[in-house]
Amino acid sequence: MGRRQRVVRVALVVLALAGFLISFYLTLTHYRNLIPPCYVTSGCESVVTSRYATILGIPLSLIGTIFFAVMFYLGIALITGPPNKVMRAYELLAFAGILVAIVLFLLQAVVLKAYCSYCLGTEAIALSIWAGNLMVASSGDGGAMSEAGSGRQR
Amino acid sequence: MRRLGRSLLTWQAALWAGSSLVLILGALAIVVFTGGPSTETATATLPQVTATDITYGPEGAPVVVVEYSDFQCEACARFAPMLAALRAKYGDRVRFVSRFFPLINHPYGMLSAQVAYAASLQSKFWEMQDLLYERQSEWSDAPDAYPYFKGYAKGLGLDMSRFRNDLNAQTTKDFITRQMAEGTDAGVNHTPWFVVNGTVLVPNDIADFEALIDAGL
Repeated sequence: MGRRQRVVRVALVVLALAGFLISFYLTLTHYRNLIPPCYVTSGCESVVTSRYATILGIPLSLIGTIFFAVMFYLGIALITGPPNKVMRAYELLAFAGILVAIVLFLLQAVVLKAYCSYCLGTEAIALSIWAGNLMVASSGDGGAMSEAGSGRQR
Repeated sequence: MRRLGRSLLTWQAALWAGSSLVLILGALAIVVFTGGPSTETATATLPQVTATDITYGPEGAPVVVVEYSDFQCEACARFAPMLAALRAKYGDRVRFVSRFFPLINHPYGMLSAQVAYAASLQSKFWEMQDLLYERQSEWSDAPDAYPYFKGYAKGLGLDMSRFRNDLNAQTTKDFITRQMAEGTDAGVNHTPWFVVNGTVLVPNDIADFEALIDAGL
C-alpha cells in the first residue's frame, strides 16, 4: 500500500469511528427517551421523533451504529491484512451506506422539511467513506499485505 | 522472514487493540458525559415575574420555575407531564411561570401560543397547555390545526366567541412576541428552556427538577 493510500485508509477508519460515535449518541438518546431541545435553526427533534426514525421498532441510529462499527473494523482489516473478500465487503457496504444516506437525506429535505445536524453528519460521513474508498480502489490499492503479496511473487 | 512476520503481527495486533480501545472509550465517554442533567448559572437576567405573566402557585414563593416553551416542540411535550406532576406536588410552595417562545420553524408554534393565551384570558391556560401537548401529534402534522384547537377550546368549555376574538387580537400577538423578544435578549435559544431560581436547568427527568426545587425550599 502506498503512503497516500495508507493515509486515506486511516482517514476512512477515523471517519467510521466518528460515524459510530454520532450514531451511538443518537441511539443512546433514543433508548433514554431523550429528545433534543427545539432550536430556531434546527429540526433535529422533528427528525428523531418522526415515524421514519425507526424500522420495525429498531431505531435507525442503532443500525447506523452497527454499520459504522463494521466499517471501522473492516477499514482496519484493510490496513492490516490481505484485501480480497474484505475489500469486496467494504465496497458493498460503502455503496449500501451511500444509498441509505441519500434516502435519509431526501426524507429530511422533502418529507419532513427539517434537518438534524447529527443525521446530516452521519450522511456526510457515509458519503466520504464511499468516495474515499472509491478513490483508493481506483488507484489500484489492495491492502497492507498487497505489497507483501507482490513481494512474494517477486 | 520470521522476524518480519513477528513485527507485522505486533503492529497489527497493536492496531486492532488500540482501535478497539478508542472505540470503547469513545462510547463510554458518551454514556458518561451525556447521562446527567446540566445546570448553569443564568448568564442573563430574565424579565421579572409580573402580574401579566401566566403563573401557577403562590406569589412570593421561595422557588420560581420559569419555562419558555413552544407547544409544537416535541421536547416540550415530553417534559409537559413532568411539569404537571411538579405543579401537583409543589403547587402550594413553588411558583411556576409559563412564557411563550414559539419557534419560527414550527408552522403552528405561533397559532398554538395564541390559542393558549386566549385560553389564559378565560383562566384555562394550564388545561389548554396540557391538552396541546397531549394531542400534539394529531394537530402538529395536520394541514389545518385550527379545527383541533377549536375542539379543545370547546371541550374546556370556553366562551367560543370570546376565544375567537382573543385568539386573533393584536394584543395577543404582541404579548407573545414581546415575551419571545425578552426571552431572546435573556439568552433563551431553544425550548423547553427552564430556569429554576436563576439557574438554567437542562434536565433529563423529573428528579433533576426536584433536586433544584428541594434545595431552594
